[in-house]
Amino acid sequence: MNLPDRTVLENGAILLSVALPSNPFIAIRGTVPAGIAAEGSEFGLAEFTSRLLLSGTRRMGTAKLADRLEGIGATLEFRNGDEVLSFQGRCTRETAAETVRILVDCLSEPAFPSKEVERIRAELQNDLRIEADDTHHRAVREVSRLVFPKDHPYGREPKGDPSRVRRIRRGDIVSFHEAHVGPEGLILAVTGDVDRALIDESIAAPLSRLRGDGGAEAIPPPPPHRPGSVRIPMPHKSQVDIVIGAPGVPRRHEDYYALNLANLLFGRIGLYGRLGRNLRDEQGLAYYAFSSLDARTAGGMWTISAGVNPSNLGKAIESIRAEMDRLRTEPFSLEEVRDGKENQIGSLVVSLERNAEVAAELHRMEYYGLGMDFLERYADIVGELTEERIRNLARKYFLPSASSIAVAGPIGRLRVPW
Amino acid sequence: MSVVTPLLCLGQLDIARPLSRGAMPTHVETLGNGLKVILRPIPDTKALSTWVVYRIGSRNEVPGMTGSTHWVEHMLFKGGGKLAKGDIDKMISRLGGKMNAFTDTDYTMYFETIPASAMDTALMIESERMRNAAFDPKEVEAERTVVISEREGAENQPDFAVEEELWGLAFHVHPYHWTAIGYKQDLATLARDPLYRHYLRFYAPNNASLILVGGFDVAVAMQHIREAFGRLQPEAPPDPLRLAEPEQRGERRSDLERPGPADLLSVGCHIPGAAHEDTPALVLLATVLGGWRGFVPFAAGDWRPRSNRLYRALVDAKLATDVGVRLESKLDPSLLIANATLAPGASLDRVEAVLDREIEKLKRAPPPKSELARAHQQVRAWARYEQDGVTFQGMLLSAGEGLGAWDFAEALLAKVERVRPEQVRAAARRYLVEEHRTVVRFHAQEVPR
Repeated sequence: MNLPDRTVLENGAILLSVALPSNPFIAIRGTVPAGIAAEGSEFGLAEFTSRLLLSGTRRMGTAKLADRLEGIGATLEFRNGDEVLSFQGRCTRETAAETVRILVDCLSEPAFPSKEVERIRAELQNDLRIEADDTHHRAVREVSRLVFPKDHPYGREPKGDPSRVRRIRRGDIVSFHEAHVGPEGLILAVTGDVDRALIDESIAAPLSRLRGDGGAEAIPPPPPHRPGSVRIPMPHKSQVDIVIGAPGVPRRHEDYYALNLANLLFGRIGLYGRLGRNLRDEQGLAYYAFSSLDARTAGGMWTISAGVNPSNLGKAIESIRAEMDRLRTEPFSLEEVRDGKENQIGSLVVSLERNAEVAAELHRMEYYGLGMDFLERYADIVGELTEERIRNLARKYFLPSASSIAVAGPIGRLRVPW
Repeated sequence: MSVVTPLLCLGQLDIARPLSRGAMPTHVETLGNGLKVILRPIPDTKALSTWVVYRIGSRNEVPGMTGSTHWVEHMLFKGGGKLAKGDIDKMISRLGGKMNAFTDTDYTMYFETIPASAMDTALMIESERMRNAAFDPKEVEAERTVVISEREGAENQPDFAVEEELWGLAFHVHPYHWTAIGYKQDLATLARDPLYRHYLRFYAPNNASLILVGGFDVAVAMQHIREAFGRLQPEAPPDPLRLAEPEQRGERRSDLERPGPADLLSVGCHIPGAAHEDTPALVLLATVLGGWRGFVPFAAGDWRPRSNRLYRALVDAKLATDVGVRLESKLDPSLLIANATLAPGASLDRVEAVLDREIEKLKRAPPPKSELARAHQQVRAWARYEQDGVTFQGMLLSAGEGLGAWDFAEALLAKVERVRPEQVRAAARRYLVEEHRTVVRFHAQEVPR
């Protein structure tokens, strides 16, 4: 892959692009800093706003907008996140200019029709009910709340709660949009069937017309985590979901790369690393048992997830704890570390095989300030990690005593040995 | 633009043919042992996706052994022959690759996406997997609880109950009656030996196709493929499936009352097999009704179409929060399914009546040209979006091959281009009829605390 092209437009928006000649379409990934962190104490407002951005603009009603987009075969989606409002789309060379014009319209001049506000309100209420019935979702939310306490943006339910959803008014949405959605802080990555002329004429030109306020505000570091345990009885379910979590590090933290490798070895590589080998492969306790490392601007979280039959709940939790303890008694071997490094370096080819993946990676490089040459430096970054550092960080961060746990499902009076 | 791949390095026993159909050069060749090889080189990519699709799915199972095809799929990650347990995992991981497998009603497919320089690793894994899987009794037993756990995870979602009920009710004779995961009671009692026999019977070069997409040279790849697969022995071809679903005469209904967060409606109408001449019109019928998200799953992600009749009539009207239409094109006659998640306060009767009304409209008048043009454009655009990377291209070719032809999607697209509005109405009149449909209604009961 060639080095990406990076342009700062006059209105402050940043445009990144890379041509992938074998790809027959264009992938779009972008963000503006209008996520949960921007909503302050008005919980649920960012989510509500994000869902209304395809509900019509000043020039086009809801139905016409959908007809225009799908009439050219393009896709656009808006999604609320902890830090940003993200958008993504697909189009072809021939439809790129029209797709970006529609994107800019949706971002700059959404109509927020009252009828749509009420429709989205009902949709949010339904989604809250559906998620409240989802064992994995319930457990993840509880652990997030414990790891990021005091209503930190990383720990909150993005939709707020049913009473918040009822209280949000159209005026609140309009004000939030005006204050936070504009070219300032906007990053747009486009990849695939593009060249310089297409970028200039079909993407940069319409994007330059985006006006409005916005810009990122600093996200406070999360308050200290006090480990806790939550039981969520859901007797009508077949399976119990276990989620264990602890604070991680921000994406730019010096421990990030070594911790990422430690997480890979613990619960990701192959069929879920050491964790999967124990719980799935050797004991047959779970279809899935894996760990994840989520690193954001101001903090991060490390989690373990497993879905088990209730009769195996105790055994599964004890096995997870044993694997965490094993990091002290039997640290990662030289062979494991070598395998992990080879995996991360080799995965550069495989994880960037898709247009959409390249666009997402380009966006990440800009958002976290990794530099446009990041992919060229990545092998050296991973190669220089020492075994000792990886082992030490696994011991430091993957600690049962420093982790919270939530179990959701048909747990009855079952003990949670944590 | 059509490109013809030059014939290269053909062995005496092999049958080869160049293919001019489709936008990308594709080389197809059959080895002497019956293994069909489909190669799509993409010169400027460094990745390679290797797929093997076997013509075995849950439609080849019998009652008492449901879920066996899927269980066999799980066992094929556990080594055998040159591969010790854990080797597949380790080899692909070291390459930074990804791998997985999918069991469908009609076929089972396996893939590895790795750097193209490591082609031999993928070929060796797939070659060993084809004939030499170990089926160690201890490993079979350990996997029993894993597949049961996979099923129990699905059972946690109300829509799984609806889906299982729908197929069970719509098919009384044909094995589409059960889903690929199988019934829990069968998974609890299935023994190792029948599973192993199931594997030996269906996993053979003459019941499989090998698909490579990515950065390789066709002649070199063919040479390596012959070395890896050429010595594998074929089996007697599997007998054709003789079970055919009798024509449904009269609507079938089921009302499920279970704890859940929202009422659900699912309506399935019988449609012909994928190769039928009406399939192109059914693609557009499904698109006009519920939008189009591509031929295979995954590429569309969470994107949902909004410019379609059911979205307008149900979601815009605040009767549902989500709708979808799936054209389940399969080898044998199957179903077109419309699903709705009801909005708070909406009634199942009302949503069903609106769905009926929209279907009646399609039967009364063909879609306007502008609407059909939009549907055409969606299908056309998704045909490009599904070419996103070597893995999705491999999946598309493999799924097509599982339905009888690797270029199934490309050929279907060409036929879809020629569908006229009147044909969409004719398809609605022929297939969306009450006496051929099955309705499942999920009445969400209060969730116990």
